[in-house]
Amino acid sequence: MIDFDLPFLLAIAKFALVFIPLCLIPICIFMERKGASLMQDRYGPNRANIPLLGGIRLFGFVQNLPDGIKLFTKENFIPRGAHTFWYLLAPMIPLAVALLTPSVIPWFGPMVVEGSRGLATVSGQILDADSGVLVLFALSGLSIYGVVLGAWASNSKYALLGGMRASAQMISYEVSMGLSAAGIFLIVGSFSLTQIVEWQAAHTWGIVVQPVGFVLFLTSLFAETGRAPFDMAEGESEIVAGYFVEYSAIRFGLFYMGEYAHIAIAGALLSTLFLGGYQIPFMDTEAVRANLGFVSGAIVAAVGLSCLGIAYMVRRWARIYSRMQTTDAVDRKREYNILNGAFSVIGLGLLAVAAALMVLVHPAKGGLGAADIWPLWVNLGTAAVQVGTLVVKILAICWIFVWVRWTLPRFRYDQVMALGWKIMLNIALVNLLVTAVVAKLVKG
Amino acid sequence: MKVLTPQGEKIDLLTVNIGPSHPATHGALRAFVALDGETIAGTVTEIGYLHRGFEKMVEQGTWQQVLPYTDRLNYCSAILNNIGFCHTIERMFEVEIPERAKVLRVLLSELSRIIDHVVCVAAAAADLGALTNYFYLFNPREKVYGIWEKLSGARLTNTFTRIGGLYRDTYDGFESEVASVLVEVEKGLDDAFRLLQHNRIFIERTRGCCPISAEDAVSWGWTGPCLRATGVDRDLRKDEPYLDYETYDFQTVVGSTGDTFDRVMVRMYEIKESISICRQALARLRPGPINTTDPRLILPGHGKAYHDMEALINHFKVVFEGVCVPAGEFYGSIEAANGELGFFVVSDGSGKPWKIKVRPPCFTQFAAYADLVEGSMVADAIACLSSINIIAGELDR
Repeated sequence: MIDFDLPFLLAIAKFALVFIPLCLIPICIFMERKGASLMQDRYGPNRANIPLLGGIRLFGFVQNLPDGIKLFTKENFIPRGAHTFWYLLAPMIPLAVALLTPSVIPWFGPMVVEGSRGLATVSGQILDADSGVLVLFALSGLSIYGVVLGAWASNSKYALLGGMRASAQMISYEVSMGLSAAGIFLIVGSFSLTQIVEWQAAHTWGIVVQPVGFVLFLTSLFAETGRAPFDMAEGESEIVAGYFVEYSAIRFGLFYMGEYAHIAIAGALLSTLFLGGYQIPFMDTEAVRANLGFVSGAIVAAVGLSCLGIAYMVRRWARIYSRMQTTDAVDRKREYNILNGAFSVIGLGLLAVAAALMVLVHPAKGGLGAADIWPLWVNLGTAAVQVGTLVVKILAICWIFVWVRWTLPRFRYDQVMALGWKIMLNIALVNLLVTAVVAKLVKG
Repeated sequence: MKVLTPQGEKIDLLTVNIGPSHPATHGALRAFVALDGETIAGTVTEIGYLHRGFEKMVEQGTWQQVLPYTDRLNYCSAILNNIGFCHTIERMFEVEIPERAKVLRVLLSELSRIIDHVVCVAAAAADLGALTNYFYLFNPREKVYGIWEKLSGARLTNTFTRIGGLYRDTYDGFESEVASVLVEVEKGLDDAFRLLQHNRIFIERTRGCCPISAEDAVSWGWTGPCLRATGVDRDLRKDEPYLDYETYDFQTVVGSTGDTFDRVMVRMYEIKESISICRQALARLRPGPINTTDPRLILPGHGKAYHDMEALINHFKVVFEGVCVPAGEFYGSIEAANGELGFFVVSDGSGKPWKIKVRPPCFTQFAAYADLVEGSMVADAIACLSSINIIAGELDR
């Protein structure tokens, strides 16, 4: 009989973490659009609104909704001559990989809970294997299949060119990606991602000990995700849209979502290896556990203050907007009133919650601090704080992806190959060699 | 596609249609390429997707009625085409237009050149994947279109000049608006410069990309910025000055290698020169008549036509017969944004053109395109295409 004790339930509950990158997709898309419009002196998405909720647009975030509806309701077109089976299978692969990969990323520090058979350690990874990193690399290598199969199966020359580019590029950069990360494995002495994060908490962030590795890894991730300046597989001005040129509706949407999920995972991987993973800077897991009430209160307060900041921003817009002669003044006034009210209330509410957390969450206090559930509360609270920290780091890295995309021109195919094999591979090898020598000298 | 190389080797090539339905050829051009991997082994280009029969159409109306058609030649700088045509006809009549009209034409020419170059540079950058430049350059262009709208009522097809002068005088606040637009263009251009000029990726992509030698460019009949990019100092504004261009202080921008980088950079620096010419023209702008008083060209005006018999007859003849261009053959050209825009005009002395042949600058440039891109990669071919600035309206006419 299965023993439904606490460690087992927690291990099941961890599966929910798989969906974090999926939930980050709309945020990434929003960031991409609004970031692009910010850099390009234009408005960005500002038309989509929810009429039933007073026409709110949430600064363009609502645009995701009609886009989703559009992708689901458009015609699912299969071009003549396409190999139907592979054509239909291909878009599922990137998203499937994107769903599998988060299972090896440590989302929070290992927690010790009391089960029916004594104390048990619940890891922050869904799949806590020593080969964690290798699984990760293997999975990300798998996502090429979606691109290549889709390109080949859609019976289009542009798609074929895109698939060719994509396969060559991704395979090349896998090499320098692995080698640039090898330095940090060498220093930590483990393939386990949890141990890598714990080492960073104990010593210093990976970016400090492996700055070259960090830059190389980041660059490889750009190539790996096929983002600008490495987006030759799409190359919309050259080969139209590359590998997904023949895809429409939600099958295109799957590729699209796969790309953003891939970015989110790349962010998770980068922050895990080089930016301290789920750790709050200068606070290791023990410190968070000891000051849980204060830490969680501070985080909630920061979110609450940002909400108040947004409300203030909305008020300023409303003031500017009221001076302009527009045809939709009534609608906008209503929307701004709703946004202002909602964000003010949420912000103040969160501040209140933060105060409550700081005051109440303490083992000495009654209520939440009651002795019997206190350990569980500390564990879950710490996990929540750490997941939130990792998500913030991921979003920061996603912003770098957006930033670079709208700044740099695209490489040419042969230049990407030359960069990958002639420059990055060599630097990665030298970096690995130097790291190995230094690590040997230091560690003995 | 199996082909036999001159060395007797059998190779397998992939044939791809780049265009007409392609983001970089926007439905108007076609390059049929045979690819060996990513390298272009052979190209055949095809034109005519935007052919409207301009040269035949204009024979149907009077000389004045040609003007709206010229708007549709290079639609990125319509006023330059108007000026080119009017300039040619005025030279046939040997009339001088008033000083204000000249200065205004220079001003509008250079503003048009700016927005035309802006389109080319922005599109070239966008085709290289640097989309942000596009907006930095297109936002001031939008302001220029605002000026066009106020001046002529149209944004794209302005038809602002007339044979013997201009459609009408400027509006109140025109000068200050142009001055502020110039500042914005400068700012957008500086932003684009900062993004591109020392950008390693941009340089690697465009340096040595589809170069053409000065001799080849000349023998292909290239003109304008693309010719100057090869190092040939040829600018009609300097070499055969019109509209008193010799009195303006500006430099011709000359490149060295004739590659895509030079072509883009020549255009960017020419925008700077054009801004300076615009400022000089603004400083020279004095109130005065904008039309010549030559009755063969210009309507006498309502006040006269209603009260004076001769003026009424004059009005009738100019409108119904058209301006009677002296019989003969004539070639007149100006330095349009893309190069030498020439009108070869044959008149039989009547009010209608016997023949108008346009020499569009990008026709010769596109003719060399197939030779330029052979041996380079697909991505280079696209970068080259946008840098030689093919405007299908004047290419196909």
